[in-house]
Amino acid sequence: MIFVTVGMHTKGFDRLLRKMDEIASTLGEEVVMQIGHTDFRPQNAKWFDFTTEAGIKGWCKKARVVVTQPAMSILDAQEQETPVIVVPRLKRYDEVINDHQIDFARELEKQGKVIAVYDVDKLDEVLQKPDLKPQKLAKDRRLVKALQRYVAQYNNSQR
Amino acid sequence: MIEAFEGHETFFITYDSARTRGLERKYLLRNIGTNPLVMAQAFLAMLRILLREKPKLIVSTGAEIAIPAFYLARILRIKTIFIESWTRVDRPTGTGKIVYPVSDVFLVQWERLLSKYGKKAKYEGAIL
Repeated sequence: MIFVTVGMHTKGFDRLLRKMDEIASTLGEEVVMQIGHTDFRPQNAKWFDFTTEAGIKGWCKKARVVVTQPAMSILDAQEQETPVIVVPRLKRYDEVINDHQIDFARELEKQGKVIAVYDVDKLDEVLQKPDLKPQKLAKDRRLVKALQRYVAQYNNSQR
Repeated sequence: MIEAFEGHETFFITYDSARTRGLERKYLLRNIGTNPLVMAQAFLAMLRILLREKPKLIVSTGAEIAIPAFYLARILRIKTIFIESWTRVDRPTGTGKIVYPVSDVFLVQWERLLSKYGKKAKYEGAIL
């Protein structure tokens, strides 16, 4: 099963959902979509608008691969050790306020954390590759440690 | 990131959504976006929450909801930590730029982004 999720973003992601719906009938694999604020209603895939954190994680766990935007949804998929394909939202289609998701996708790709697809017409080909492997969940402990240090510091200080 | 606060009393102030409704201790506000009227309402709601809860520390990753929280925290002498979005490699967020001057600690998740902020900004790793 392929799980497509566009998160809580206040703008829709029509372009990705239309393409996934279009190829859903030929992939020979079930496609489930969380469509968020997108107006488009998929015809060939099962879909819902929003669900709980446990709901999203459950779909990510069941899926062979998760298709999403390069944003926080990546964490849900990686926590379940499911391979992630990211498709950046673009300003030119009014999917996001600027093109920062392209820079972010490029960096994650360099780190080997995701597979990035910049052109939705390539999704079909990438999804049919049999060798999609789960990326390593290399949790960066430094940020948590830094926060613990600040919390301890402020907790001991007087107002 | 929640494990960084284990052993401390915590609560959330966030936007109302299917996902955030599942949080245990929370105050849910309407999404602010760029609407000035909703921002004004958020300042009032935030003031009531902060006076009631009297937190020692506020930690935020955005979005605009951090603006009323951090400016009121400055007045109420509550410490603040802002963590810029992991998705921002070399472009600051609008919220980050606005709360930078009033943050006690300001962290970015990519080293490259440090050049876009002042001396206060630090890189201490990322979420993943």
